Amino acid sequence: MNTVDISAASLAIGYALLIIPLGILLWHRIPIVGQTLVAIVRMTLQLLLVGLYLQVVFKLNYPWLNGLWLLVMIGVADFSIARGCGLRLTKLALPLLVALFAGVAVPLFFFMALILRQPNLMEAQYVIPIGGMILGNCLRADIVGISNFYEAIRKSEKCFLHSLAQGARLTEAIRPFLRDAIRAAMIPMVATMATIGLVALPGMMTGVILGGASPMTAIKYQIAIMIAIFSGTSITVLLAIWLTAKKGFTAYGILDRQIFRK
Amino acid sequence: MILTGRSGAGKSTILKCILGFVLPAAGIIRIDGELLVRESVWRLRREMAYVAQEPDLGEGLVQDVLERPFTYRANFHLRGNLKRTTDLFERLLLPVELLDKEISSLSGGEKQRVALISAILLDRRIFLLDEVSSALDETSERAIAQFFSSDDQVTVLSVSHNRQVFSDSDRIIELPYRHSEEGE
Repeated sequence: MNTVDISAASLAIGYALLIIPLGILLWHRIPIVGQTLVAIVRMTLQLLLVGLYLQVVFKLNYPWLNGLWLLVMIGVADFSIARGCGLRLTKLALPLLVALFAGVAVPLFFFMALILRQPNLMEAQYVIPIGGMILGNCLRADIVGISNFYEAIRKSEKCFLHSLAQGARLTEAIRPFLRDAIRAAMIPMVATMATIGLVALPGMMTGVILGGASPMTAIKYQIAIMIAIFSGTSITVLLAIWLTAKKGFTAYGILDRQIFRK
Repeated sequence: MILTGRSGAGKSTILKCILGFVLPAAGIIRIDGELLVRESVWRLRREMAYVAQEPDLGEGLVQDVLERPFTYRANFHLRGNLKRTTDLFERLLLPVELLDKEISSLSGGEKQRVALISAILLDRRIFLLDEVSSALDETSERAIAQFFSSDDQVTVLSVSHNRQVFSDSDRIIELPYRHSEEGE
């Protein structure tokens, strides 16, 4: 089985389907028509650029270029986390970058070297989509984990200071907050694993089936990616909190309010 | 020692400065002759016990709240003190049944006394008490005053609007009121 390509003309027909949602928006005067049009244009341009770029990357398939692509993605994700959490980037960018890198690199290496047993660890066909999926989930987990952690300490500062006054070291005083933040970051993934396949066909499985593989191959990929994502999120959230905590607190163990943008 | 003065004079802030939670805008702090700086603050905090005006003891059962500080490495060796809990509950006029209640279900006065017991169990030499009498009735207030006056090994620095508490204190310091940004 091979994937049928979609010609430009066919895709144009695909766009015609947009008449329905746009029609509904206009008919009921739902004021997001402008926003929708901008979003559609952005989607088209962004994906077109990525498609063109990836085509080149896949064709060349230089290990260093594939690795660089992943690094660039991690860098972009780093900015989005700090923005998504309402935190100042300058102090936290580096620790977050390290946390993201570890969260992606460890399960990706596992996937490439031990599950797929690829002789070329940087094989574009695998490393880019799998790395991208792990990264996307690490990004989401870090935003939830980091904002949960710092917001909780900001809100319960009295309780936090109380534990310092009782002789807790910083690592001991942040422990309950760390626990809650990791839980908040990981629970969506636990829920997803518990219901996967029942509600909707997961993304990677769909992709592998469309790529022409058998459903059994597809579910094996899906299981492996779920495990990789789950491990990656646990690594990245723990590291993100640990590493940023060194910058997020003063030498006296007090939360440094300058890390918040508001 | 009693620290008194108008609301907003900075009484609570002084306690927070001593704990290294607030850095003084000017001047230095010495505890037992040792300068409070970033290197010494962690060790000096272990010499002190602090009871806030409206203590936030976290969540869980009262028993868990009392056990929590002993999970910190600095207090491992004091774990045995937990057997004094029931005795302290009686001395501070708290029913022992409270140990199995959720901390959040306690009244303000009960919470303050639990915080005080938690502080006493840590065997510190310096007690920083912020308006501990504010949520207490007269009898429990007297019980606390009596408890501390019976032990001359400890230093108690107590913030209070009410000079009657600890009437046998060695010193009373009245803070002058100056308008400041930092509230109490």
